[in-house]
Amino acid sequence: MIRRFGLLRPLAALAMLLTAGAVAAGGAAAPSYALDPGKSTLAFAFVQAGGHNQGRFPKFAVNFSFADDNLAASHLEVTVDIAALDSGDKERDDTLREADLFNVAKFPQARFTAAQITKTAAGAYEASGSLVIRGVTRALRVPFTLKSATEQGKPVLYMTGKTLIKRLDFGVGQGDWKSTEWVDNEVMVTFNLRLIAAG
Amino acid sequence: MQVRNTTARWGSVAQFLHWLIVALIITQVILALSAEQLHGMAKLAMLARHKSVGITILMLALVRLAWRLINPTPPLPLTLKPYERFLANFTHAALYVLIFALPITGWIMSSARGFPVSWFSLFQLPDLVTKNRPLYEAMQETHEALAWTLGAVALLHLLGALKHHFVLKDTVLRRMLPFSKIP
Repeated sequence: MIRRFGLLRPLAALAMLLTAGAVAAGGAAAPSYALDPGKSTLAFAFVQAGGHNQGRFPKFAVNFSFADDNLAASHLEVTVDIAALDSGDKERDDTLREADLFNVAKFPQARFTAAQITKTAAGAYEASGSLVIRGVTRALRVPFTLKSATEQGKPVLYMTGKTLIKRLDFGVGQGDWKSTEWVDNEVMVTFNLRLIAAG
Repeated sequence: MQVRNTTARWGSVAQFLHWLIVALIITQVILALSAEQLHGMAKLAMLARHKSVGITILMLALVRLAWRLINPTPPLPLTLKPYERFLANFTHAALYVLIFALPITGWIMSSARGFPVSWFSLFQLPDLVTKNRPLYEAMQETHEALAWTLGAVALLHLLGALKHHFVLKDTVLRRMLPFSKIP
């Protein structure tokens, strides 16, 4: 055992050196942040029969690593538990879960994965990537802002933004629901996230 | 036929409002009963139409009441017995109350459920109350009870009109009919 460790130690040191070199070449490493679910919201606004309604997704996960000086190493992935949706009305929630709408039995999750994060202004960014809802993948650009703070000695980021999506692009609306006469195609998704530096 | 009411008969505006509201109330019953048989999108559409027509009735009721207040009201025949006079006045007052109360309870019901009311998708009306499930349930029962009450009072109104025409042989029914001659 000792001999094997003895052999591994120089290899490990070499690997660390190589990693450090890669990080140095690409700038600082992007630290990861954990979602504070209690102080984060993911909401959606929709129009039903001419009336404006609000709903939210109470259960979602965020995988976020971010360094302002190394956006290439930054990463964002949001996974939404569609079945947990809350449109403000239980009967409507049940309808939304049905096969003709979100079909949660077959597609329980939606996911946004950013392929690239670019800075658009001070504190303003755009994540471009792909959104998968109901098994359908579409390219999506999501503008967002970040505000950093230090709370209880930990770096915290507040991420807010909104993006307009069209439900029919993802097949959310089969049969009768393909019509936009009573339920609009456009859905505004808004997010307000509190992200705490991990570790 | 005159636009304004006279002491002998209802004018064209009063008649138009009366018969339009009759037609819209019948439409409301058909929309409400068919919505109960449906689900999903079809139910949503039927209820949206029911709400739009209901708001239309509420607006027409306002116009109608205002028009009544600034116009002469053709009086009831002097030959009526006191109970007939009471019944006629009670029925008319109840009908006026109901054409306001039904749309308003429906509107409160929608607001309490958290479904904003829109008028034919052209504009959204303000919510009368904040979301409140027990209030929604109470309003749903009230709305339904008022609908049955309207049915009963409207039947009484119809029977009264027919009694005037066929039994009392006066002009009370004819003065609300657009093409009838009144001596």
